[in-house]
Amino acid sequence: MSGATASPFPLQNGGDPVLLPEHITELTGLGQFGLAGELLATFVAAFIVGNLILAMTGVAGPWAKRKITASFTDRIAVNHLGPGGIGIIIADSVRLLAKENIIPENVDRPAYDLAPIVIAGSAMLGFAVIPMGSGIHLADPEVGLAFVFAVAGIASIGLVMAGYASGNKYSLLGGLRAVAQNVAYEIPLVVTGMSVVLFAGSLQMSEIVAVQNETTLFTIPGLEWAVPAWFALVNPFAFVLFLIANFAEVGRNPFDMPEAPAELIAGYQTEYSSVYFVLVYLGEFLHIFLGGAIIATIFLGGPAGPGPDELGIFWFILKIWGVFFLTQWLRSAVPRVRIDQLIEIGWKGLLVLSFANLGLTAAIVGVIA
Amino acid sequence: MIGVLKSMATTMKHALDGSTFTVEYPTAAPDVSPRFRGVHKFSQERCIWCRQCENVCPNDTIQIVMDDKRNGEQYNLHIGQCIYCRLCEEVCPVDAILLTQNFEFTGDTKHDLVYNKEQLKSVPWYKDIDPLESREPDRGAWIGEGDGEVDYQ
Amino acid sequence: MSTGTEPETEPEAELTEPGSETDEAALESLLGERAIARDDHLNAPGFVINPNDVQSVLSDLRDEAGYDHLSCVTAQQYEDRYESIYHMKKFADPTDEVSIVVPTTVDNPVSQSAEPVFRTADWHEREAYDLVGVEYEDHPDLRRILLPETWQGHPLSKDYDQEKPQLVTLTEHQNPIQPDHRDAESDTMFLNIGPHHPATHGVLHVKTVLDGETVADVEPDIGYLHRCEEQMCEQGTYRHQIMPYPDRWDYVSAGLLNEWAYARAIEDLADIEVPEYAQIIRTMGSELCRIASHMLALGTFALDVYGEFTATFMYTFRDREVIQDILEDLTGQRMMFNYFRVGGVAWDLPEPREEFFEQTREFLNELPTKVGEYNDLITGNEIFQTRCIDTGVLETEVAKDYGCTGPVARGSGVDYDLRRDDPYGYYEQLDWDVITRDGCDNYARVLCRMEEVEESAKIIEQCLDLLEDWPEDERDVQANVPRTLKPDAGTEIYRAVEGAKGELGIYIRSDGSDKPGRFKIRSPCFSNLQALEEMSEGEYIPDLIASLGSLDIVLGEVDR
Repeated sequence: MSGATASPFPLQNGGDPVLLPEHITELTGLGQFGLAGELLATFVAAFIVGNLILAMTGVAGPWAKRKITASFTDRIAVNHLGPGGIGIIIADSVRLLAKENIIPENVDRPAYDLAPIVIAGSAMLGFAVIPMGSGIHLADPEVGLAFVFAVAGIASIGLVMAGYASGNKYSLLGGLRAVAQNVAYEIPLVVTGMSVVLFAGSLQMSEIVAVQNETTLFTIPGLEWAVPAWFALVNPFAFVLFLIANFAEVGRNPFDMPEAPAELIAGYQTEYSSVYFVLVYLGEFLHIFLGGAIIATIFLGGPAGPGPDELGIFWFILKIWGVFFLTQWLRSAVPRVRIDQLIEIGWKGLLVLSFANLGLTAAIVGVIA
Repeated sequence: MIGVLKSMATTMKHALDGSTFTVEYPTAAPDVSPRFRGVHKFSQERCIWCRQCENVCPNDTIQIVMDDKRNGEQYNLHIGQCIYCRLCEEVCPVDAILLTQNFEFTGDTKHDLVYNKEQLKSVPWYKDIDPLESREPDRGAWIGEGDGEVDYQ
Repeated sequence: MSTGTEPETEPEAELTEPGSETDEAALESLLGERAIARDDHLNAPGFVINPNDVQSVLSDLRDEAGYDHLSCVTAQQYEDRYESIYHMKKFADPTDEVSIVVPTTVDNPVSQSAEPVFRTADWHEREAYDLVGVEYEDHPDLRRILLPETWQGHPLSKDYDQEKPQLVTLTEHQNPIQPDHRDAESDTMFLNIGPHHPATHGVLHVKTVLDGETVADVEPDIGYLHRCEEQMCEQGTYRHQIMPYPDRWDYVSAGLLNEWAYARAIEDLADIEVPEYAQIIRTMGSELCRIASHMLALGTFALDVYGEFTATFMYTFRDREVIQDILEDLTGQRMMFNYFRVGGVAWDLPEPREEFFEQTREFLNELPTKVGEYNDLITGNEIFQTRCIDTGVLETEVAKDYGCTGPVARGSGVDYDLRRDDPYGYYEQLDWDVITRDGCDNYARVLCRMEEVEESAKIIEQCLDLLEDWPEDERDVQANVPRTLKPDAGTEIYRAVEGAKGELGIYIRSDGSDKPGRFKIRSPCFSNLQALEEMSEGEYIPDLIASLGSLDIVLGEVDR
């Protein structure tokens, strides 16, 4: 959590953004040690970001999920350990880690062990290029957006590995569903993301954020509030498309096919227990939050918000939680679609719409330019 | 799409009104209806050892042992096996056995749930409710007998 | 058939006059020589036929005389013979009944199967074979159904040795899971859904063959929750000891409805008149149970379609909780009520009565809002509709063939509700409607249940009004019933009530003692579950799960 208050540096001052490793190099004077120092600084920065994300997804996420679900269903949920019962997460993790890691006889060993790591790790990678405001930004490659989509896509491999290697028919079905679903929804997701790239003219994350906040869409008369040209406001259609594709991509209601509790027991994660289960579970949360982070970055102006730039991380986290909250809201109210309907919506609906959106955006951007 | 939004609005309404339905047991003792059938209480003083309860019990939960002069020696009741049908109370001509509202009982093994007459005697009333009163108001209540404290015997 | 022309007109005459007595003369002429004797039951005329005539008699009865509902098959063993009884009714008029009694010798208990005529006979005859030991010729798949395949002997037959251990070596009985389903040529996958699976609503095992995600074959495997309920009832006295058990058949809050099934059978058997006041209380209590039961059905169905513990499930449970509180006040227990007594009910309404009325009315007043909420939340949701409409289709004729009853049949357009068609209790005097839907799909069944909740609320409302105004000195809750009931030896009766899931029937044969000679439960879930195969083949796994949910089975009642 230390990252949240670590840096009083602004995100942007015209030119290239200053990244977190550079701050750390500066602050600690690690720069004098040359490459080794830079590496160490990068490691420290990654450590800070990683812990921030893990605290959010591993501790606050499951707790909030229980609390949110409870409030939708007229219950109280956890309330005994710690304030609001958040201590239950510690108790839960001790419980889960202390359990025996049951490994069924017929599992395909290396793949079975690797899958949880791939599922959790792929999402962690994605956070590397996300500008979180308040100077927390690990790396800013020119192909940032492509990188995020790429690493988020790795999760499908993890799901298939988990499904196949478990040697369980339900897991297999879950794994196969995951592939079918991810293939069907990754394309609309990326294509819709491309429409944003057309607006921004760059794949670089910091640039995408900057473009959204530089221009003013319109000013609310009377209040003198300048509404920034966040792409969600510029192109709400693309935003909705992206949201839907994102829910499918991270496998949340109404598209939670790979798990499909009640149908496939728990889908690809049926055979996982103890530490592996923690990793798989964490991986799911990380993916929801990564999805939220991508949406926040490319559609909701990233860390931008009222107040000084130092508050960036606050606004950013708020936006991620907004998306997380939406997933939980949908979960409470929306039934799961059937696998064939899901594929149909993906290929016949979203794909077509996303290409239409891309073409339209290209035309409009072209005209304006 | 309208339907989907409507369902979302419905759950949101519930989230916002903040009312919950949870009973915070064991922090709060739940209200139990006066007619509720819980663990039995047995009074050896009242019992005339007619064995009707043993007879009527659908699954042989009650076991009575008498000596050769038809004096009662043992009265055993397996509260884990009992189906709480209340037939024993219903047939008892002297209210020697009745079902309290007490639903809280534990045992480490199922054998711990075989209560003898002493254990059955010391089963506490739940919230000092006398079940007989609610069931048949005109019958004398146990709980009022004696002075002051709940006097069972 | 030589007599074919005459009975042709007969069913129509019956139809115009519901409630009329069975036309025995017409039946006699229809059966002709095939009826070798009469064996009348209290509820219906009984005809004894030869074991070889089962199919021809049953198909004539269905096609010529209109007895299109094979309600139940009871098998039992006497000292000198085995007997299978086919309890037949008409969907149009269930009071028009006939029993076909098929005796077979003890040495060679082989009887023709009714399965080719009525699909529903499949499982019923398997059960008869399993428990009693009658063998049915022509039956496509005569295996054990409730007991494990390795079971030795037939527990309800006279020569069954209770002491004999059931553990036998594999040399004595082949290992039932020996055959390997692996087939190199095949593209299909065999999948065990259950017995421990989140969507089977208990311990049900569905053997499924999948072709990709498509269901190629389904076979429910039941019996995991078989608790010998019939045998337990045979060992209890009529007067007291049987009544606690019906609560445990359909154990999810439908207790009073089940109790009524037994109460109705024994009251008709022993000729006991129930006071009107008690009938009203019974009616009210039963309908409360029906609402609770339908709420649970709705909630668990939502669980199957939505996945995980979603809002719908919690809301329905919350509403069910309110009903359970009311029922707890009334009966003394939340689920295992044991409230009915032979000839009435255990207690009058709880004192103070005003409080009880107020509490119940409050629930009824809130119900429309809640139903509206469910409509917004569930049935109006487009995704829910795409999931449920035209999935799990059960055509009207198929539903009848399988002996489906209750909301499952009514969702398939079968206008059949024993509360109206074979009135008991106080239903006849009250103003309410039978809900039917023509959708034949999962959606129709859900809607049917939801609308039935509203109808039940109407009934409760009227009962409350009646109870409130009932003169204080006429509040008899129990008839004067002798302490020991010993109906005449040899009397037989089959009586059914409309349970939460459908026609819940009880067959009792008295042997002159204070305990039944044979006690048979006709479970609606048992018959309804048979139709699963018909509903889900060729559809996807999610539809199979949804169809199973929409059947609303309770394994306690399926397996008994």
